[in-house]
Amino acid sequence: MIRKTRIKRTWLAAAVIASGSLLATALPANAETGVSASEIKLGITLPLTGAASPGYNKIGNAINAYFKYVNDNGGVYGRKVTLIQKNDEYSPQLSIAKTNELILRDKVFALVGPLGTANFTATHKSVGLAKRGVPSLFLNTGFSGFSNKKSYPSSFMILPSYAMEAKIIAQFLKDNHAGKKLGIVYQNDEFGIDGLGAFRAAGTKFDVSIPYTSGTQSAATAQTWVSQLAAGGAQVVVFFGVTSATAPLLAVAAAAKYAPQWILGSVGSDPLTLRALGVPVAVLNGAQTPAGNPSPNDTSDEYVKQFQEINTKYNTGTAFDDYVLQGMNIGLMTVQALRAAGKNLTRKGLVRAMETKGSTFASVAYSPLGFSRTSNVGHTGYYMAVMDANGDRKPFGGKVTLYTTDSGSGPVVVSTFKRPAMPAKGLPSNS
Amino acid sequence: MRTFKFKRSLTLVAVSSLLSITVVSIPTAAQANPVCTTASGVTTCLGATSDTAPYMLMTPANFNGTVYLYSHGYRPNVPVPAGIPGYGGYTVTNTPEPAPGGNAQIIGALLAKGYAVMGSGFARQGWNADSAIKTNVELIGVFKKQYPKTTKVVAWGNSLGGFITQALAEKYPDLISAAAPLCMASDLTPLMTMAGDALWGIKTFFDPTIKGGGYSAGTAGYAEAMGDLVKVFTVIGSMQAAIAANPTAPAWPATSTVPAALKAVPSRSALVLIALMSGVPMQSAHFDSTSAPAGLPASNALSFQLAINPALAALENLANAAALAVLATHDVEQQAGGAIFDNTATDYSARVAAEQFIWSSALSGNAGVGALLGYLAAVPRVKGNPAAIAKLATLTTHSGKVEVPTILFTGTADPVTTPGNQQAVIDKYAAYSAEKWAAAKKEGTRKKPANNQLALWNLPPEKYTKFTATGSPDTTPAAATGTNHCNFTVSQYLAIADLLAYAADNGKNMSGGALYTKIRKAGNMTYDRGYEAPRLKYYGG
Repeated sequence: MIRKTRIKRTWLAAAVIASGSLLATALPANAETGVSASEIKLGITLPLTGAASPGYNKIGNAINAYFKYVNDNGGVYGRKVTLIQKNDEYSPQLSIAKTNELILRDKVFALVGPLGTANFTATHKSVGLAKRGVPSLFLNTGFSGFSNKKSYPSSFMILPSYAMEAKIIAQFLKDNHAGKKLGIVYQNDEFGIDGLGAFRAAGTKFDVSIPYTSGTQSAATAQTWVSQLAAGGAQVVVFFGVTSATAPLLAVAAAAKYAPQWILGSVGSDPLTLRALGVPVAVLNGAQTPAGNPSPNDTSDEYVKQFQEINTKYNTGTAFDDYVLQGMNIGLMTVQALRAAGKNLTRKGLVRAMETKGSTFASVAYSPLGFSRTSNVGHTGYYMAVMDANGDRKPFGGKVTLYTTDSGSGPVVVSTFKRPAMPAKGLPSNS
Repeated sequence: MRTFKFKRSLTLVAVSSLLSITVVSIPTAAQANPVCTTASGVTTCLGATSDTAPYMLMTPANFNGTVYLYSHGYRPNVPVPAGIPGYGGYTVTNTPEPAPGGNAQIIGALLAKGYAVMGSGFARQGWNADSAIKTNVELIGVFKKQYPKTTKVVAWGNSLGGFITQALAEKYPDLISAAAPLCMASDLTPLMTMAGDALWGIKTFFDPTIKGGGYSAGTAGYAEAMGDLVKVFTVIGSMQAAIAANPTAPAWPATSTVPAALKAVPSRSALVLIALMSGVPMQSAHFDSTSAPAGLPASNALSFQLAINPALAALENLANAAALAVLATHDVEQQAGGAIFDNTATDYSARVAAEQFIWSSALSGNAGVGALLGYLAAVPRVKGNPAAIAKLATLTTHSGKVEVPTILFTGTADPVTTPGNQQAVIDKYAAYSAEKWAAAKKEGTRKKPANNQLALWNLPPEKYTKFTATGSPDTTPAAATGTNHCNFTVSQYLAIADLLAYAADNGKNMSGGALYTKIRKAGNMTYDRGYEAPRLKYYGG
């Protein structure tokens, strides 16, 4: 009996040593969905075709380009990161189906950068992302409702909320356009309403207020907006909608020789996309806009420079604009999140890593990140910028003045926050 | 946005699938013993239970001891005059139905494997769950007496028959070895609330002369209900024509009395709101709430995807749901003795709060839905008859407390018994299992009780709306899988039958690779424990 036990113990000890040495030399084949010894599979839904696709259709390829760059440099703890893109055509119903496909058929580990407020609302509810514990990182929407940690426990934002954006614009209007007649065109859903509520709370009174229903934007509807704005004598017009609506608005206004001071919300203000949609660059000249990131043309910025290099090599032929910059940055932040979650990658571990380490991640945006155990808020501020005659974006007043705030009743303050440096060669080494 | 033409009226594709009847000679009185004939190795017995419900037993010569007891779905308890779309020409029948729709292929396949099949036509049509359960219990006894070598009874049923099947499994685990409630109805109160909300919405927005409930007793009430059917389908028809003529801003029906200001909101948005507030799915037989005709300018295509297609889905589903809503409301009111729908305390804004962002474009944005909800909040509500409502509450409800293996299967876009009905039973079973597990732990048991409920779903394809060469929606193809009421294929029914046989033989449901292979071969059956269907809009409070 004694001998038998001894043999067993020796065998057991040998097995422990053997498995220990295995751990030291190779990654475990995770039991977690979407993670193997050699690969981490991620998914994204976004409009790749259709009226809502301009600009947004670049984000997935930009994320993938960054992942390819990381993969060529060793991946994440040796694992290759891949992104499966699904075209939801900006339709919530299709977004549900495509997300189901990603989770059930493609068996992705997590979602990154899912786009659209209505789409993510639909998906989160119908696919049961929270119940399944599927992490949804860096949502491409600023709807402040997604910052409800209790309702969205495994989701994390990246953009400042629309409410934050409106509060910062409201402050800017007060400081720079006091006494002028104000107009606003806004998307009449949670996107625009989120902003409108914040404007109201900030005491901004618009002399002309024009809601539009998502999906109805066209040259014909823009004609009615411009007529109303002009008839109301709006001297400063805030636009809080998507790029496919900004374009007809600006084009129709230019044709009608109506030239107010435009303040374009961050969602619908990418100059390159607007120009591609037929907006003359001269119309953009002087337009003001809140911005979270540096201009994609600012090669003095270490993030922009690095991302441009990656784009040239891994996303060949794609013009580098705000959407590509945003996509690359989502890639960079995702890799940091995966690294922070450790080698034994699990969905729970990823959520925990976002909560405990997410606020320290390097990101191209100037403002602090709000991630914590009790918050899934991403970036928290903007600076105001102005477009020039080349369609480029420069800080208003010649230098970046960063404003930060929250989605509630907190004040808008000038922040001295210094963003973390870009990791060497754009390759995170965090843990 | 250009206009389009429908090849077919939506109301014509509505509800004929509900009425699939096996034609046999029906005994008219209770019989102590059935009358049997044998042909081609199959013995068919006809008889009637003590409540005069006719039944049919079919048994092969090589009977293996297991019999399938089928419970048919809701059949109206009143005749429907010819000319009324969907149901026109229906006469009340209690013809027995021993398998889904009396389908010969299903019956043949089961008999060929040595199984027997049986089913009652039930003594009373309409909502008859309480009496039908008793009838079925008696029928099991009749069969066992006729075939003493019977070892197992498996129960299955569609719609109301699904309700009856679940109740049998809950109440008579000693009689039933396994059960499959299909496209099941859940408890009557939430079902009738859904019907009431849909009818009240149609009445309030489109035609206030629709009664929508509170029908008189006797023949006067019957005439009122038939009149409502005509009016509801007239509204549906005018909405279809209006959307075809002007998809972006369809006219409100001539019968509508909503204020002129509200008519600035497209009438199609009111349809979407009615569907959402009553819990009718947003995918229908021919409309996927996603597709647009080819060749439209990009902005118009997006508008069609986000706003027009969902409105047509709501319209087509409401055509299905409203017909049964009228007939069932009339039926249940007659049984309960008064009006059963009461929305005096209903907060319709809360009902749609979780979805109004998702369907924002279809609802014409916050301004549109705000105006529509504001109107609903301002108009008078319907007060039910407390005694009738109390009587409704005394009828059988599901507890979810099931010990025998059960297999649930439904379409996630079923407009009549919405998937929330199946989800309700899943939720109840989950609560029961948690309760059992807590009790077991208290007694020191470490083994979690087995999960004896297998929930399967029939999901519609991502895209299935078809368009004609001119870009009009084509409603002539068969309804997409996962849509319409109890829209199952023979392969799916046979897969369910196999799963039932396995469960009866093994005391547990099939699982793992065998299950996946079985449902994959049948097609359009999904097993996903993470899936949760939208809950019923009203449940128990």
